[in-house]
Amino acid sequence: MIRFLLLLIISILLLPHPAWSVDLKALIRKVEEQYMGLSSKSRMTLNIRSEHWERSLKMDAWSLGRDHFLVRIIEPSKERDVATLKVDKEVWNYLPKVDRVIKVPPSMMGGAWMGSHITNDDLVKANKIDEDYSFELIEESKKRYLIECIPKPDAVVVWGKIVYEILLPMEVPGTVSYFDEEMVKVRDMVFDDIKKIDGRFIPLRMTIQPIDDPEERTIIQYSDIDFNIKIGKSFFSLRNLKR
Amino acid sequence: METLNLAWRNIWRSRRRTIITVIAISFSLMLVQAFHNLAFGVYAQMVDSGVRSGSGHIAVYRGDYAVSRDDRLYWQSEDLAQQIASVDGVKAVLPRIYLPGLAQSSRESRGILLTGIDPTAENSINPLLKNINAPEVIRSLNGRDALVGSRLLTELKLKIGNKFVVTAQGTEGELVSELFRIRGIVKSGIREVDSSLVMVGRQRAAAMTGQSDAIHELAIVLEHPEWEEQLIPVIADILPKDSDLRAVSWEVAMANLANAIKLDYASQKFIFLIIVLIVTIGVVNTLLMSVMERIREFGVILAVGATPGRLRKMVMTEAFLIGLISMIFGNLLGVLATWYLADVGIDLRDFIPETMEFGGVVFDPIMRASWDFAYMGQMSIYVLVLSVIAALYPAAKAARITPAAAMRHH
Amino acid sequence: MLLRLASRNLWRNRRRTLLTLSAMVVSLALLTLSLGVFSGMLVDILASTTEQYHGHLVITADDYLDDRDMYKNFSSDEQLLRKLETDEVVIGFSQRLRGFGLASHDESSYPVELLGIHPEMEKSVTNLHQQLAEGAYLSGNNGNGAVIGSSLAKKLKVSPGDELVFVTQAADGSIGNDLLIVRGIFRTGHSGHDNSLVLVPQQWLQKVMTLDGKIHEIAIAINAPLRAADYKPALATLLPQGLSITDWGELLPEMREAIASFDVSRLIFVIILYFATGLGILNTIFMSVMERTREFGILMALGLRPGQIKRLVLLESLLLGLIGTLLGLVCGLILSYYMSRFGIDLSTWITPITYAGGTMQPRLKAIFEYRNFIEPAYLLVVVSVLAGFFPARRAANLQPVQAIRED
Repeated sequence: MIRFLLLLIISILLLPHPAWSVDLKALIRKVEEQYMGLSSKSRMTLNIRSEHWERSLKMDAWSLGRDHFLVRIIEPSKERDVATLKVDKEVWNYLPKVDRVIKVPPSMMGGAWMGSHITNDDLVKANKIDEDYSFELIEESKKRYLIECIPKPDAVVVWGKIVYEILLPMEVPGTVSYFDEEMVKVRDMVFDDIKKIDGRFIPLRMTIQPIDDPEERTIIQYSDIDFNIKIGKSFFSLRNLKR
Repeated sequence: METLNLAWRNIWRSRRRTIITVIAISFSLMLVQAFHNLAFGVYAQMVDSGVRSGSGHIAVYRGDYAVSRDDRLYWQSEDLAQQIASVDGVKAVLPRIYLPGLAQSSRESRGILLTGIDPTAENSINPLLKNINAPEVIRSLNGRDALVGSRLLTELKLKIGNKFVVTAQGTEGELVSELFRIRGIVKSGIREVDSSLVMVGRQRAAAMTGQSDAIHELAIVLEHPEWEEQLIPVIADILPKDSDLRAVSWEVAMANLANAIKLDYASQKFIFLIIVLIVTIGVVNTLLMSVMERIREFGVILAVGATPGRLRKMVMTEAFLIGLISMIFGNLLGVLATWYLADVGIDLRDFIPETMEFGGVVFDPIMRASWDFAYMGQMSIYVLVLSVIAALYPAAKAARITPAAAMRHH
Repeated sequence: MLLRLASRNLWRNRRRTLLTLSAMVVSLALLTLSLGVFSGMLVDILASTTEQYHGHLVITADDYLDDRDMYKNFSSDEQLLRKLETDEVVIGFSQRLRGFGLASHDESSYPVELLGIHPEMEKSVTNLHQQLAEGAYLSGNNGNGAVIGSSLAKKLKVSPGDELVFVTQAADGSIGNDLLIVRGIFRTGHSGHDNSLVLVPQQWLQKVMTLDGKIHEIAIAINAPLRAADYKPALATLLPQGLSITDWGELLPEMREAIASFDVSRLIFVIILYFATGLGILNTIFMSVMERTREFGILMALGLRPGQIKRLVLLESLLLGLIGTLLGLVCGLILSYYMSRFGIDLSTWITPITYAGGTMQPRLKAIFEYRNFIEPAYLLVVVSVLAGFFPARRAANLQPVQAIRED
């Protein structure tokens, strides 16, 4: 999951701004290469605090490229085996209690995924973002780059801009801020707990912080991650979703 | 002719009575005519505004879209719109596509109905767009300009000029998204419209289905609504023979509106029945009395040698003349009243909210009459016939009386 | 003395009196009948949303109605329920939990609104149990039966006995989901309800939404729906802190306006009709006055003053008006009674119609509302006196000698 969401952010950087084309492109390549194995398997904990609930979910996740992604809840036992599958632009949920697979319709796209601050739509839209922004380096220091990502006029995104921080020298994301069209900040994603795994720097924790509700947040914490595992597209099937 | 002359002289002999009778009958006629024309005008208004924002007088759909609203029933219009537009009597052809979906701003998301339109054709016709000024008009078929309902705008926490994303289901069940920018606001007064309408260029919306010329509906607005019946077969002929496209009237496409008008028309008819009944009683009453009052006079006439048949004929002729004068005078008044109602109308804005929905259409708070000459003619003839019929009994009675009894009468 | 003279005059010209009376009786009777039918339509429209869904008044947590936020709930309060039970205005109430989510069957899923109810309580507020097109109503407070709208059933392609999956965001953030068995299908004609409303047992919904023991509202039915706003303050005093009560007029402002505007159209209708009736009366009285010129002349010669003549004619028309009103009211009551018992069903001809946020049933059925009788009756008396005014003045202005010679 976290890798998937990271890709979401990182892919933003794929499109170079003319003035910085060489630098930014190279930088993004590097960041990307560090995180983007072709495939991955991970275990993570989702820690959600909202106005009305606090909950903690342990889950297993598999991914292949950007368009294939499967996640299954392990704990709590009440929700065990609830699973989400994303293939290209479609999302399904498996509900073990009723043993049914429900495809998420457009009307549910605005809904929270697993009660977190990630919407179903965030899951779906991830793979298009790289085409949608132009970039500008607004701050450069020994510790970080700050890149402003402005959506292209016709890009299918709701944000006014995204300010993206890359921490140096590990070249991992730091804080990513989302703004509306009035340039008012709507949410922050903070990446930290950076560890070196398989020779790559990986932030093992991501915090999603809605600005309007400072008391609320979703924290995703990796406990285990393997890259380049042997897994094919056929793994991401409705049958496997139900297991 | 002689009878006519005599009758004419007779009715003016008791001028006051004749004038009262004529006034009573002609006022009644005016009342019925003016009231009917007002109701007629209100329906015409409703139908007009309904068909312009809805299906047109005639709509072309694929399969049973008129009933099922199954969004998979879209089709390629190709040059069908132009072909239909060239038919005599067709004022405008409005191609539209309707896609249910989700609109998202950076803060909120809401379920909506994405409506793809042809802005140049639609702007001058669709009453939903009548308050949209030039800088707010959707500029192209495939641009990103959008008009959104006023409630939706506040719910999404957006302003004019802001962007938002619409997500809908594509042909294969996959999700497709498009970016739009708010250009103007539609405030119809119909809650459902105001909280779910997103109007955009037709091709941009259609692109979400994968075919940029796909539409669900060709709404055909006619020059004259009454041509609808003749033109349906003409338009059906233009449709490709091997397709499942169908031309339907607005009564089928907008059953809610049609039913609303039918029900209202039924209750209106009921009211009319009552009014006509009262007018009938009034006319019969008046004529009956003006004859009965003259029993003594008839006695004199009979006594001086007139035959009962002749007397009967004269009474009938008198009634006919009174009816005729009342009819002419009543029509004059009816025309004046209708003229006033058509020109000035009745402004209900003090009594009802400016936006009241009925049958899915917003009432125009200013009721205006339209001319229904056929009805006015019918009512005129009715009054004339009624006057003669009303005189039948008194005439017969007048003819039957014996002079002696008549003289004693009073 | 004048009264006796007036009544004798009316009696003497029986035919004329009867003719004039017939016009009055017909207009008053049909007027009250049609007003009764219109009132019936309005009550139908109001019932389409209150008695099929909202209730006449509803108790919720403060602000719940603004956004129907599932967290603005409250625990059922025995004390409050007992107070409602003993209130004589309240004829029924129903505690409800509401949940929004997705209902799915096979490949299709649609957004729905679930109302978690106690079936017996709900019957005292809404009449959905009388509108079943198929199957049966819910029977118990638990179990997983569901009664769904007809359009929804059609879209989902389900019939009684079929399974539905309901998915929602539960109050604890998990995906609330469970199976439902369709027990019954209702058809109200209100497209919103038929398309998305689902009734389920309250305990079942509380469990799925993880809102044990919680409800969102108490819907109340009262014995005089149109006066809901008047009863509101009294009921509001029963409520504990944090709860508020809302009447249907606040829930459905368009409908309140529509019903208020009915008073205007009623007036317009009455005026138009009475204009026609008044003309008729004026006409008859005028004629009768002219016909009796000689008689008035004699009366004057006998010493009656012009004022008394005037009063005599006015009294005649008043008497005529009173008799007409009385007979008209009787006929109107009979007709209205007939139309309230039997009504005219138009459903083969037209389908239900949306109006001001409600739905109008395709039937003509009268209801009794005292204003529909009082106002037209009162006005008819006024109209007949007014119609007698000109003829009376004319009669008073007669010169005795000339009057006797006339004819």
